[in-house]
Amino acid sequence: MRKKAARAVPEWLNSPLWSAAPPVPAPPDPYGADLSPSSSPPPPPKPPPPTPPVPPPSYEQAVGSSRRARGEAVREGEDDDDDSRGAALQAHLLSDFKLALSKKVINTGELRRLACLGVPDGSAGVRPLVWKLLLGYLPTEHAFWPHELEKKRSQYNAYKDEFLLNPSEKIRRFEKSKLLRKKELNSEKIGLLPRSVVTNEEHPLSFGKSSLWNQYFQESEIVEQIDRDVKRTHPDMPFFSSKTNQESLRRILIIYSKLNSSVRYVQGMNEVLAPLFYVFKNDPDPSNSASAEADTFFCFVELLSGFKDNYCKHLDNSQVGIRSTLSKLSQLLKRHDKELWRHMEITTKVYPQYYAFRWITLLLTMEFTFNVCIHIWDAILGDPEGPQDTLTRICCAMLVLVRRRLLAGDFTANIQLLQHYPPTNIDHLLHIANRLRGSF
Amino acid sequence: MVLVLALGDLHVPHRAADLPAKFKSMLVPGKIQHIICTGNLCVKEVHDYLKSLCPDLHITRGEYDEDARYPETKTLTIGQFKLGLCHGHQVVPWGDLDSLAMLQRQLDVDILVTGHTHQFKAYKHEGGVVINPGSATGAYSSVTYDVNPSFVLMDIDGLRVVVYVYELIDGEVKVDKIDFKKTATMLHS
Repeated sequence: MRKKAARAVPEWLNSPLWSAAPPVPAPPDPYGADLSPSSSPPPPPKPPPPTPPVPPPSYEQAVGSSRRARGEAVREGEDDDDDSRGAALQAHLLSDFKLALSKKVINTGELRRLACLGVPDGSAGVRPLVWKLLLGYLPTEHAFWPHELEKKRSQYNAYKDEFLLNPSEKIRRFEKSKLLRKKELNSEKIGLLPRSVVTNEEHPLSFGKSSLWNQYFQESEIVEQIDRDVKRTHPDMPFFSSKTNQESLRRILIIYSKLNSSVRYVQGMNEVLAPLFYVFKNDPDPSNSASAEADTFFCFVELLSGFKDNYCKHLDNSQVGIRSTLSKLSQLLKRHDKELWRHMEITTKVYPQYYAFRWITLLLTMEFTFNVCIHIWDAILGDPEGPQDTLTRICCAMLVLVRRRLLAGDFTANIQLLQHYPPTNIDHLLHIANRLRGSF
Repeated sequence: MVLVLALGDLHVPHRAADLPAKFKSMLVPGKIQHIICTGNLCVKEVHDYLKSLCPDLHITRGEYDEDARYPETKTLTIGQFKLGLCHGHQVVPWGDLDSLAMLQRQLDVDILVTGHTHQFKAYKHEGGVVINPGSATGAYSSVTYDVNPSFVLMDIDGLRVVVYVYELIDGEVKVDKIDFKKTATMLHS
């Protein structure tokens, strides 16, 4: 009897928490006795939330209970109650955040815990600050912030000067610095113009390795690709249609590609950059908003440093590349929901690379609406386990959440479903992701 | 930063078979924004080759060109500079700088590009600058057999022009550059 139970659905999945219809009570068979004890009396449509039978660790309990409370509030669909409960919770969270952020030395653990609950929206402007702290851009000591910001922003300006000029401008600056005053005399003299020798093959048609011109033309292909992608980022949002914002995105991506020759630019990085820039640019503090470009650049570098290996083509098949991440996802699913795993990988042959590739490389920016995505990023950035692992858990949770439809579907239907993931309640999703914790 | 290639007097196929291999290897599409050609290509194949390097091609008629539809002179504006183009066999004495200056004043341009003499020249007078890119194939001229293949690449950046002169001397490509700015006297036009 016991060995069959290993293949059965874990009982917490069968709780009415996230399924609309009450689960069918198991037919009387010798194996059914161990299954879902909570499902035996079919629960009434509006039950009080049943506590999970397995005692969870304290962190999870804290996160789980408040999430469930919010989830319940949203699910019950009574608008007045829902709004007032939701608003009260939001206000409570906001004050928690403000308290945590006002300390002289920020407690990162506390901040992470709060971030996983979801950063409140609105004009309080808490989110840009929280993200900067979580990504390590700002140090934990409050007093060091102005100095750090100043240093980083001027460094970004230096990068702009170094990487964004075309060869003509660079050569001109170089000559100016060498004080070649003789050239000034040319403007008045009449006669044959004097010729000067070109050194180091520094002419536009040069193929020399050290030639500025050669490097410029080689990089022009990447720059063109960045241009095209920036224009296509979120065309439905007026924020991203503005020329200045597009120019900022373009500059950030060009500088990143020049600083990271191993990865350069991969299509999709613009999508990962977009929410970061949006959040920082919409900071209500005008001095922060004005330097949003510099802040976004460093946070983007930090965020991608964890995921860089996913973008490297030659690391694809290695221990750290995208394939290994996808197989981790597969293993996670197998451990928690063997039935679904078997159905996906063996019966219908829907392998992770067909759907999860985009989920992982773009950090779920294309699966959900923009605002929902920003909420998910709160959890991804805030989780102490790190963005990579959290993302994998959330992807697994996405699969588990639609398991009924997946189990009922064949290859085509499942691929269709996963490539156009249906809108879902984020709190449920993140709660399930939580449950999958501690399994790496 | 606009790159403009100036060349001419190729005389293909009558006096030369093709551009020197070293020149051809340097001239790749995608780098140059405009080509101005003084004339005497002479055949359509050369026209097509130049068109493949850059779609924006301007040519004036040389006395041996087989396509009769090229104009005698042409003017165009690139950035802050007005450029004039003419083959030069019309201006007598050939290669005389004062007569060319007269043509330049007639066309009212800052930079006049002419050919015909098959000798590179870059000369400045009150009205502007005259540039002769020489012969890109090293074809013999009406005056001399001793011709080094040469052409010119101009980098126009605001009010400043850097002229890169490419010459093939003894089988090696030599690159020089000339720097000048648009001055107050020139700005009056």
